[in-house]
Amino acid sequence: MDTLIHITGAGVVSAVGCGQGETLDALRRGRSGIGPVRFLRTAEKTFLVGEVPLSNEEMAARCGASPDLSRTSLMGILALREALTEAGLPDLTGIPLISGTTVGGMDKTEQTFPAYSPLHDCGASTDAIAAHFGGAPFATTLSTACSSAANAVIFGANLIRSGQADIVAVGGSESLSDFHLHGFGSLMILDTAPCRPFDATRAGLNLGEGAAFLILESDASVRRRGAASLAVLSGFGNACDAFHQTASSENGEGAFLAMQKALRMAGLRPEDIDYVNAHGTGTPNNDASESAALRRVFGDALPPISSTKAFTGHTTSASGSIEAVFCLLALREGFIPAQLNWTTADPACIVPSLGGPASLKHILCNAFGFGGNDSSLLISR
Amino acid sequence: MRPVYLHARCELKPGDPEPDFRSLFSVMEARRMGRLLKRAVWTASEALKEAGIDVPDAVIIGTDYGCIENSEFFLKALKGIDDAPMKPTHFMQSTHNTISSLIAIRLGAHGYNATYSHRGRSFESALQDAWTQIALGDIDTALVGWFDEMTPALAESLIAQGIEPKEHALAVVLSANPEGAIEEIPSLRSE
Repeated sequence: MDTLIHITGAGVVSAVGCGQGETLDALRRGRSGIGPVRFLRTAEKTFLVGEVPLSNEEMAARCGASPDLSRTSLMGILALREALTEAGLPDLTGIPLISGTTVGGMDKTEQTFPAYSPLHDCGASTDAIAAHFGGAPFATTLSTACSSAANAVIFGANLIRSGQADIVAVGGSESLSDFHLHGFGSLMILDTAPCRPFDATRAGLNLGEGAAFLILESDASVRRRGAASLAVLSGFGNACDAFHQTASSENGEGAFLAMQKALRMAGLRPEDIDYVNAHGTGTPNNDASESAALRRVFGDALPPISSTKAFTGHTTSASGSIEAVFCLLALREGFIPAQLNWTTADPACIVPSLGGPASLKHILCNAFGFGGNDSSLLISR
Repeated sequence: MRPVYLHARCELKPGDPEPDFRSLFSVMEARRMGRLLKRAVWTASEALKEAGIDVPDAVIIGTDYGCIENSEFFLKALKGIDDAPMKPTHFMQSTHNTISSLIAIRLGAHGYNATYSHRGRSFESALQDAWTQIALGDIDTALVGWFDEMTPALAESLIAQGIEPKEHALAVVLSANPEGAIEEIPSLRSE
């Protein structure tokens, strides 16, 4: 990386809890947040989901926002509040907000359709988050399906590299919706049992929800403010599989290119990577394709790899930043999150790590999306 | 930071005659694709032709509201309106990045690919992303697009919010190469 980019704050909300404390506890104890539907308004109760264990009203009360906001905005506010607080920033004054979402306020439109809710679109959900923190000098939204939040991190990092910003708030937020629960259901890629990434018996994903934001900051700004650097973003890669609208290629071309770009940018070799937080959704197609890509990058010397989606479900657009926060916690506390629910090896897949204490310096964090939008973030101590 | 140049611009304005898509799509493809996707692929392909570029280093799309026609098809089915069937194709093509992904698949473009969806700021964000990466030297060329469709229900919602409903079909090509450029694109720093 040509510029030092510090991470000076992080906030996270997912099925395993609200905030870094609850999240760390769950990751260390191997406590999954996946279960039956509690809050989502849906008639579809067959599939297990990873819901944030708070109602909209409870979330609104915690952060002093209106309970009428979309769930995407409410979760985003909770996560961004934690990130700003950790970075010692009172609000978004002078700080661009770059968020990732696809569902946006679909939960609101589900209640008003055939009319649209004014909170329907992605931009509205990001603007509501910005407004809660006094407004941002500018806000924008990435919508690259399940890699949206990772791409928000990348765009924010480029704003710092190019001197267009000193501090950026980047991440993503995505609530469950009846719309995409049925959508993923129609694609036959949901599991009625807890998802089993990289396992021979894997049969699909569990949809999850959540939000996470990072505060990225230039070295000059960190020095000026006397801020504490939690880690650095040492590289990133965005590539396109350009294969199919929803399926991944057999050789994992997009995923391979994304990881390779991240390594090259960081000036690191594959053997420097201490842990990979895989995209690992638990669908037969993704996990085989990602494994092929991992083998192309690392050869036979695979580092420990696990998918934390067995904890949270697939938090879709928010997964890139949620899992980046998991990586920050793993780096700081010195452990590898276990691959839950894995019992049977699949020759088509990597053998995931069952977790444990580890001294970590460099972590690769993958987020891949429909449309072959594949991104990889490299976080270093 | 390197200077960034505009090399091509192709737009279908409201009221423009619909182009002949037959040169681009087979009958089967055309049937699977909605009007938004056809217009997007056509403008992108015309802009790339004008710029003399086969495969750009990046494909970056702005869409203010995304692929709402397919979203509405799927929502209707979900809500049991008009006995509409729930089709996976409608869901697959309802995500905002359907456009950038389709363009990448058609071009075999494995480089940077992103989609911005932030109301009236979508195209500006896409342009800023492309500009920044070219200026940094990460990429040399980028296809940047702005694509939107309108439905009666969305138009009604936007009018109620004081926003003018608009369709977009615009593709531009940016490059680090000054040769043959239309103009230099100044810094897009947003404040």
